[in-house]
Amino acid sequence: MEQNSIPSSKVERAMRFVKTGAQIGGNYIKHYSKKMIDPSKNKDELHEDNATDVYNALSELKGSALKVAQMLSMEKNILPRQYTNKFQMAQYNAPPLSGPLIVQTFIKSFGKAPQEIFEQFNMKACNAASIGQVHEAVLNQKKIAIKIQYPGVAESIKSDLRIVKPIAFRLLDMNEKELEKYVKEVESKLLEETDYELEYKRSIEISEACAHIPNLVFTKYYKEYTSKRVLTMDWMEGMHLEDFLKTNPSQEIRNQIGQALWDFYDIQVHELKSVHADPHPGNFLMRENGELGVIDFGCVKEIPEEFYYNYFALLVNELIVEPGIVKKIMNQQQIINSNDSKEVQQIITDAFMKMTRLLATPFVEPSFDFGNNDYIDKIYALGEEVSKMEELKKSKEGRGSQHALYINRTYFGLYSILNVLQAKVNTGERDWKTALFNYHKPQLAAVS
Amino acid sequence: MKDQIISAYIKQCLELGKMPNNVYTFAKELGMEEKDFYTYFSSLEAVEMGIFQYWFEQVKNQTTNSEIYANYSGREKMLAIYFAWIEALKGNRSFVKMMFDKKQDNFPMPKVPRFLKLLRVDFIAFANALTNEGIGTKEIEDRKFLSDKYKDGLWMNFLFVMNFWLKDDSPAFEKTDAAIEKSVNLAFDLMGKSPLDSMLDFGKFVFQNK
Repeated sequence: MEQNSIPSSKVERAMRFVKTGAQIGGNYIKHYSKKMIDPSKNKDELHEDNATDVYNALSELKGSALKVAQMLSMEKNILPRQYTNKFQMAQYNAPPLSGPLIVQTFIKSFGKAPQEIFEQFNMKACNAASIGQVHEAVLNQKKIAIKIQYPGVAESIKSDLRIVKPIAFRLLDMNEKELEKYVKEVESKLLEETDYELEYKRSIEISEACAHIPNLVFTKYYKEYTSKRVLTMDWMEGMHLEDFLKTNPSQEIRNQIGQALWDFYDIQVHELKSVHADPHPGNFLMRENGELGVIDFGCVKEIPEEFYYNYFALLVNELIVEPGIVKKIMNQQQIINSNDSKEVQQIITDAFMKMTRLLATPFVEPSFDFGNNDYIDKIYALGEEVSKMEELKKSKEGRGSQHALYINRTYFGLYSILNVLQAKVNTGERDWKTALFNYHKPQLAAVS
Repeated sequence: MKDQIISAYIKQCLELGKMPNNVYTFAKELGMEEKDFYTYFSSLEAVEMGIFQYWFEQVKNQTTNSEIYANYSGREKMLAIYFAWIEALKGNRSFVKMMFDKKQDNFPMPKVPRFLKLLRVDFIAFANALTNEGIGTKEIEDRKFLSDKYKDGLWMNFLFVMNFWLKDDSPAFEKTDAAIEKSVNLAFDLMGKSPLDSMLDFGKFVFQNK
């Protein structure tokens, strides 16, 4: 039976998410990302934006619900129009923790008040993270940072999602069953972010494996003062992207930082197969000497083997010249499915390949200048074009593997940071293409 | 000794599944003369009433004597008491649950259960002192007729939190922490100066000068 209306009580409950003045919506993001590239853009364009767009309706949703909605709509368009996804604005917004609650959280976790553990502990938070806050303290005469999470965040995220799921499906005109896998993927990532013990474990794994990358610095974590809701680490010096750019760093320094960032992701994706999937500017601290500090390992995507070998094979020129291989990958990645007519399959494949070729541009040359705004604009324009494709709009099911959600997001984030940084990066230093080529070689031989 | 009587009482209640039959059997189980029992409590019901009061006394002393407490605002002081209180109840959750589950015989008007009566007196005295202090520091707005009721409102909230905790099934009672944080913040926001005060004041002015 077709569901024609949303039960009114659910609408009412959903209304709680709607808050006037919530400027965190999709169009705001779009405006913001354009503005980063071209500061002369004004707000008029934002207001003129297509008001009937589904995306606008979704932009009314707050918190974790918005994040899911964004991720889903991103999947529908294959590429988000808001390619510079400022996802950090769309997270669960916890209220600040009171002093006694901080003490209580410590007592529950470690049996002691923070004042008993640290030589100094600043009860005033110096930074509000999405699901908690950061405090400054002194331990063994060293300045440290302590992230404390608001109680019950995981529960809130779950109930937020329960309420918003049916509405999001309806607004996006998508089939709930088909989309379950994407929702699950986002939900599990959101919930993982609430587990600081897991974050601790991952940060150790990734920072050890990437310790050899030049100019990349990681912080030291304190296991004894880490629990599900408290994470203790050395204080990391450095500036956020925006402040860093105000210091007018030289091109050399920009390239150096850009290179460290690129290498960090290259090694994670192609060697560790496990990636820091939250590359927004707030998670990186830059220094004038060209060093890059990485913080916050809350969102890590583990890349399954089979997905890896098919997804990244599209970046290998020798493989994509062969239509048989492309078709196989399109099927494996669930971009096309057997219900599609031959014609639709072809149109979608062509659009997808056009996009992939564009996105793969940095990988083709040995080095790439991300400061090239033309390139970023091209991605943006193509994304817009793809999202307007009738064949995709009509399609009720989601396309693409659920694993691609966070991988795509990671690369969009990475490209946009490098673009804002105006960095020129050596992109072809590591050879991971051979392994991909060898993986598909048997089929290549078979089709030709 | 009072200590021992209280823990023996809790133990016997939990093991029997009900209140001990009489002072004689209770004292015998404890290995104490019945007449000695009366030095501390006049009846078994008095023990019951005394338990929560005794715990509150301990929590209050412990909390207010901590170094950090002195620098807290009224709101934070109240929060600190709440957190410490729930922490203290945790050790005796089964007993607390048993007491709260007991059928109240004062139907139809739900009144304060007997076993909380003395706790109520002490909590209200504490809340009163705290709100008066808050009024002094302007953290809390002094309102005619209403100011006297602040402490009763806080007591209702205290009961709410205890009931919430008894029903809380979240890991480590995380939701109770959130409930405390949110409800105490609301209470202090309501007691603090709000736009409503300015509105009333303005309304009065317009009325008097029309």
